[in-house]
Amino acid sequence: MEEKNETQTPLNRRQFLKLAGLASSAALLAACAKKATETPAEVATQEAPPAEKVTISWWNQFSTPTCVEVFPKVVQDFMTLNPNITVEFEISGGPPGGGDYMEVLLARIAAGNPPDSITLWSPPSQFGAQGALMAIDSYMESAKVAKKDAFYEGPIKSCQWKGETFGFPASAGDGNVFFNKKHFEEAGLSTKREDFPTTWDGIKDISTKLNKKDDKGTIIRTGFVPWTQRWLDPVWTGLNGGQVFDPQNIKYLIDSENNVELMKYWLTYLDDLYGGDIEAFNVIATWGDVYPTGAFNLGVSSIDQSGAWAVTDAALPFDFEVAKFPVGPKGTKSITGFWPNWFALPKATPHPSEGFLFTEYMSTDGWVTWYINGVMDIPAWKGAAPDIYCKAVETMFGLERAKDFHKFYTDYLNDTATMWTSPVEDFASTTLGQAIDEILHKVKSPEQALKEAQDTCQKKLEETMQSS
Amino acid sequence: MSENLASQLSVKPSRFNMNQRKREAITGYLFVSPWIISLLIFTAYPVIASFFFSMTDYNILRPPEFVGLKNFQNMFFEDPLFWISVKNTVYYALLSVPLGLLVGLLLAMLLNQKLTGIGVYRTIYYLPSLVPAVAATLLWLVILDPRLGLVNQGLRSIGLAPVGWFQSAVWAKPALILMSMWLGSGSSMLIFLAALKEVPQSLMDAAMIDGAGALQRFRHVTLPLISPTILFNLIMGIIGSFQVFGTAFVATGSANTAGPLNSMLMYMLLLYRNAFRYYSMGYASAMALVMFLVLVLITALTIRSSSAWVYYETAGRQ
Repeated sequence: MEEKNETQTPLNRRQFLKLAGLASSAALLAACAKKATETPAEVATQEAPPAEKVTISWWNQFSTPTCVEVFPKVVQDFMTLNPNITVEFEISGGPPGGGDYMEVLLARIAAGNPPDSITLWSPPSQFGAQGALMAIDSYMESAKVAKKDAFYEGPIKSCQWKGETFGFPASAGDGNVFFNKKHFEEAGLSTKREDFPTTWDGIKDISTKLNKKDDKGTIIRTGFVPWTQRWLDPVWTGLNGGQVFDPQNIKYLIDSENNVELMKYWLTYLDDLYGGDIEAFNVIATWGDVYPTGAFNLGVSSIDQSGAWAVTDAALPFDFEVAKFPVGPKGTKSITGFWPNWFALPKATPHPSEGFLFTEYMSTDGWVTWYINGVMDIPAWKGAAPDIYCKAVETMFGLERAKDFHKFYTDYLNDTATMWTSPVEDFASTTLGQAIDEILHKVKSPEQALKEAQDTCQKKLEETMQSS
Repeated sequence: MSENLASQLSVKPSRFNMNQRKREAITGYLFVSPWIISLLIFTAYPVIASFFFSMTDYNILRPPEFVGLKNFQNMFFEDPLFWISVKNTVYYALLSVPLGLLVGLLLAMLLNQKLTGIGVYRTIYYLPSLVPAVAATLLWLVILDPRLGLVNQGLRSIGLAPVGWFQSAVWAKPALILMSMWLGSGSSMLIFLAALKEVPQSLMDAAMIDGAGALQRFRHVTLPLISPTILFNLIMGIIGSFQVFGTAFVATGSANTAGPLNSMLMYMLLLYRNAFRYYSMGYASAMALVMFLVLVLITALTIRSSSAWVYYETAGRQ
């Protein structure tokens, strides 16, 4: 066999393929190499001088058609006021490029490459405690409008941890009761807001009158089902003089006497009005949902609970009224809850000054613009003019009602439950929800279930405090 | 044979052959190097990193802090949800795997017939396997809706009480198993069908001549010959059932809830919740390590047991 003379051709097939393999390996290694960029600390100190044009990025989770229509105008207003700042953003429901918003956001924060301003649907107190957000107290001191006392007390506390502030509550859509006026009229009940029951016994009493069953004894309409909205759990505990979490002393109070009494009350509610079997009851309808396909929207429930945004968002097909939550045996006054859209600056944000200006605007005048032209999500900023109202509400219900709703919700914001203040908020909310589920299924007593939830949450809190 | 040819065919390697073989080996390694490098970077490194993180307290926002076996201690002795998820997952696996094998085999036997249009039937039975898990779960949420779903409407029409399905602590897991059988039977059916086609007709004919009935032919001829395929489907089924996530995630609506009384809290769902809701990456990595070790053990035991019941035509029972 003659030796192949591979040197006669300049580059034969075997050599070419060998080089191609080498080149692709080198390209793969280069792509995986760490980028030689400035460290976040260096980037943070190399901010552009005020007059220089700066481009900042804003990440958010908004996606509805109304958001797509209104938010670009709000951002444009900001850029008009601050011509040296350009804001890059998209209204797509997630981060640029797709993926789970929080997963991608936290990965970017951990990598030292975060956006300049973000919106959150979980409290900044939680993420600030874990080191994901920038404390903005020094910026707030010199801010034009976004001082600490410029916001309703409850919502701004949801942004604070150990004396530091980690964001703004742009909105504070507060919770309330909705009731179907036609059902009340049929039952011979007053449809005036001020006549709505102010105690738990009162609402249980009218629920008995509003309940309807068919010939076989199956429930076909209910009065009120109180245990359906997990985000309102701190409100219900507060209505009975209790608390879920004490931010002052940094401890959980889940198994307090007040809360055990609340759970026992809900159990008697279930037994006396709805047959005692939570699963059989849940099969009848989707309780606690004012949106289409929910029991209240379909007329299967006469009273329900939700937030201010539901006035425009829920598209209720009947005449309804809003009212305050009733008070429990150990409660002293009616309080509400709130579920903000929060704005914050991530840790190591590239342009903190410009990012703060934008965040401040979106949480104050910007959110007022959104509120007026978008949906009824009450601004958490007290500096808004008192005569504003949501135009969508005016279109749906008339000017008088729009002003009335605005006054109702903003006044109610002065009496809020302590909520969204824990560094393990998500964990505690899930754990408490499981305890309530066990109680309503009657597999554990209220004392046992709440004690276990208390121990679990307190332990998780202490572990998080140790490592933070 | 010429002397030259004889010398070239000589066993003794010449220096030229060593260099040639070495060059060929290096060339081969270079060609597979992109795949090896990506395997090391995107598979091996994350696995090794996960082993490390399992012994740390790590929330991705701060550097990991070594805590030794604390995560495992929490898992086994202090986290009640861990044992609930283990119980749910074992329940799911113990029912879904045997049922899946049985349904797949029965379908394959039905479809292993010479009938006009049999290809159409095979396609119909295989199609559910192509449906994405999320879409399939949403579909089954409608079918099993307690109020308006087809199944409960059928139950009502024959005088039976409707079932809560995903809203019932008792029926949630059976609903998941039902859904998994619809989703997974097509794939196992196809593999069983291929195995059934390999059963020599001569053996079946010989058995018939010897007086064996259909059941006896199945038990003594067909079953042994398809036992390697059963082993394969069994192992894949066990691994898949222990890692059930997508259907449970969609059926529960999120990772924060897990059905009534945590009835759909599967192991991977709890792992996901710890990793991506609570950002306890260390604890989640510990859970992943435990899952890995358990699956390795179960797979090893299954393969070891196969010597007693798997028949390989070339070697008999091994």
